[in-house]
Amino acid sequence: MTTQQFDLMVVGGGPGGYVAAIRAAQLGFKTALVEKQHLGGVCLNWGCIPTKALLRGADIAHTLKEAEHFGFTVDNLSFDIKKLVQHSRSVASKLTQGVAYLMQKNGITVIDGTASLADKCLLDVEQDGKVTQYKATHIILATGARARNLPSIEIDGDRVWGAREAMTPTALPSKLLVIGAGAIGVEFASLYNDLGSDVTLVEAEQRITPAEDADISALAEKAFVQRGIKILTNSIVQSLDSSGADTVALISGPNGEQHLEFDQVILAVGITGNIENLGLESLKVETEKGFLQADGFGKTNLAGLYAIGDVAGPPWLAHKASHEAVICVEKIAGVDAVKPLNKDQVPGCTYCRPQIASVGLTEAQAKAAGHSIRIGRFNLNANGKALAINEAEGLVKTVFDEQSGELLGAHMIGPEVTEQIQGFGIAQQLEATEYELAQSIFAHPTVSESMHESVLDSLGIALHK
Amino acid sequence: MTNEIKPINMPKWGMEMSEGDINAWYFAVGDQVNAGDDLVDIETSKIINTVTATDSGILRAILGATGETHAVGALLGVIASAETSDADIQAFINSNSSAAAGPEAVTEAAAPVSAAVETAPAPAPATIPQAASGLSKLAEGEDDSLVAASPVARRLAAEYGVNLNNITGTGRHDRVSKWDLEAAVVAAGGQLIGNNRSASSTVHYGDDSNVKATPVARRIATQLGINLLECRVSGDRGRVCKADVEAVAALKNKIPAQTDSNTTVSSNTVASQPISGMRKTIAARLQASKQTAPHFRVHIDAEIDALLAVRKQINSSNTDAKVSVNDFIVKACASALIKVPALNVQFDGEQLSYFSNADISVAVAIDDGLITPIVSDANHKGLVEISNTTRDLATRAKLGRLKPEEFQGGSFCISNLGMYGIKQFDAIINPPQGAILAVGAGEQRPVVKDGELAVATVMSLTLSSDHRIIDGAVAAQFMSVLKGYLEQPATMLG
Repeated sequence: MTTQQFDLMVVGGGPGGYVAAIRAAQLGFKTALVEKQHLGGVCLNWGCIPTKALLRGADIAHTLKEAEHFGFTVDNLSFDIKKLVQHSRSVASKLTQGVAYLMQKNGITVIDGTASLADKCLLDVEQDGKVTQYKATHIILATGARARNLPSIEIDGDRVWGAREAMTPTALPSKLLVIGAGAIGVEFASLYNDLGSDVTLVEAEQRITPAEDADISALAEKAFVQRGIKILTNSIVQSLDSSGADTVALISGPNGEQHLEFDQVILAVGITGNIENLGLESLKVETEKGFLQADGFGKTNLAGLYAIGDVAGPPWLAHKASHEAVICVEKIAGVDAVKPLNKDQVPGCTYCRPQIASVGLTEAQAKAAGHSIRIGRFNLNANGKALAINEAEGLVKTVFDEQSGELLGAHMIGPEVTEQIQGFGIAQQLEATEYELAQSIFAHPTVSESMHESVLDSLGIALHK
Repeated sequence: MTNEIKPINMPKWGMEMSEGDINAWYFAVGDQVNAGDDLVDIETSKIINTVTATDSGILRAILGATGETHAVGALLGVIASAETSDADIQAFINSNSSAAAGPEAVTEAAAPVSAAVETAPAPAPATIPQAASGLSKLAEGEDDSLVAASPVARRLAAEYGVNLNNITGTGRHDRVSKWDLEAAVVAAGGQLIGNNRSASSTVHYGDDSNVKATPVARRIATQLGINLLECRVSGDRGRVCKADVEAVAALKNKIPAQTDSNTTVSSNTVASQPISGMRKTIAARLQASKQTAPHFRVHIDAEIDALLAVRKQINSSNTDAKVSVNDFIVKACASALIKVPALNVQFDGEQLSYFSNADISVAVAIDDGLITPIVSDANHKGLVEISNTTRDLATRAKLGRLKPEEFQGGSFCISNLGMYGIKQFDAIINPPQGAILAVGAGEQRPVVKDGELAVATVMSLTLSSDHRIIDGAVAAQFMSVLKGYLEQPATMLG
């Protein structure tokens, strides 16, 4: 049998891979996508979407808790976590089918199996012990990433959950330890706290959400503590002892060591790229610290090989993967004026309560980069809409370059800020200055008026401050 | 002002429009025309659109008859009141009809247009048609690329043919806004572009010295005293972005403004034709080639075992290389063409052109046809570069994304059907080139070496040449040199 040949093959069906396949098919490439498990990848199946479905449950729990404030008396409340998980899983499966439909609609050949490079432009796909070889002029690796273990602490799926187990619980943990206060850890801490668990959040850095602007972290920490989440920063979980009925964690921090007991642990200390068993070593494909090395358009050092999404390094975000997918394919196709990924224009969203969203440089990063900056700040407790919905805890912080007026960064914490950050993203992409933003009319009453006020504040003319 | 005479000019719809065909007039001479009426349909290479009247009056003259082609700005007709005398109409026509330089409204005491062609002191590019209404006043002035203006205002200014120096900006830092621009257009008697854009004859597109830029880029440029014309345009929708300005700032040395924004103007009809058109082109060209060029063929076999060994070495030692046998053939042909320049030619039936570099066309099969993208300067490119260039060209050829200059021209052509297992075939010359090489599959064959039977990987090569310009001995010499390069690849890699 002659080897089947494609113009472009994609390995991995997540938001990087399937988007790459669609864009390639749109441009006229004869395209195939290899997926070993689920179309949609971690994002649709085990990440962004199912966690958001769970967090909706957390929102409802929170709303019920504050119902009394709005005059309602709620009693006889009961909660079945299995139903919430069921909702989350059904959303995931619906979206996976949606991706399958998109593949079919765009004439993309979907190949089930596990792919590895046999040579340049040559892909072996193994399924049920049978290996089929495919030729492709261009191969895009979008194999994603998975939760990282610590040397002393490993995810066992029982006492120690990774994200995947943490989103399919069969029972609500009563005392939960979350190790790592990045986006994933913070979201689970927020989720389980709202659902009723007693949550302790441990972070090795000096503040939670260490990638965010320090002002945002400070507000998030304040809100979390108010909600009853115990936060241990500058702290490290040295070991876990799961021999007894409870798991005993040895935690060292600024105040020395302490033993704390939990019935459940979630490990969320970062992720590592899926680069194993792809045939990369023998072809001398460059990797670094568990991730593939690629240029601004996803090109690796191997002829005809590209890498996009989580496996190509941070930020590990679905929308970054999709964007890389498009620019990688368009670059191959010679589409005019394709620009390499600008990591300062990738928004980041954390769906804890209150939500966190940001784009661009933090104040500290902007200063370190040598910008002379102008900062705008606006607290949501002066925002009418935020007060009306009883979510007035939050801040919009804007960072402008003083000379050019460029929006270097925007940092938000508060209700639904993840839906608002795009406003700043668009401004950044259009290279708008603080002037254009100040001239824009923001609708009243909205939480997003605070974006406007923050910009005005950077000019020293905030109206409601 | 009852005797004011209004011209109807050939509009400019888009940057590439230089002329238009008169398709149909909606009125005859003597008819009453009201502002807003559809006047005349104009067809360009891209669209058919309608010019509407901007003034009311009697259509007194039609100068662009149906079926005629006129340059942008040319006077097509005249509208005036019934009282205006025929002599005045004629005088107006006489002073306005001098071709592409563009008419001036008679109410403006401007220099006669015929003189302007020679003296042409205007700093603006010569192709700009001056607006015939009061807008023409707004069109004059120095290069306005340093004027602070919003992106929308700047784009609209280009559409109205307005020089931003003439607009008073009311925005912050006196920046010109869309509102400022439109107010000035109205004040000058112009008509705002509505939804039915391009249809009004007062709308004169033109000033391509207007540079679109992002607000940040504009401000940085102003601060650094950089002219936006100097900047590369790499932003979205052709806008100068921050990086472009910074690149110029980094250079410090200001290079004279040279915005060659139409680098990829497609003068080429092949690329924009539908598939059936491509087939038609292939048919016509190859038939002409076969009929006009007396083809003769020379055939040679080359042993490529050494080449295959080198290929393996290159590919295994170099991650960023996936050199194919065909890439070697391109390189070998390039080297051979430099050695035998009599084959590195184009011939149009009259003129014989020799080339100093080998621009090698490589035939690529695509859906419903074939196309021959060019590996230019192949004699100066290394194997890996040839390989990567060819892969890129072949990828884009299949997607229909080649630029005209990437497949038009070339001084020699290679057609390789080896991957289909074809042992040997003849190819038809790709005019105006002088010769084409047909490459068969490399396969193990018995060969006789020093009286002994041996096995070698052998490839059959057939050269078709145009005997009008290439003699048998020259073709034979080329093939022998080519064979030498292929059999001893080290000799061409130096």
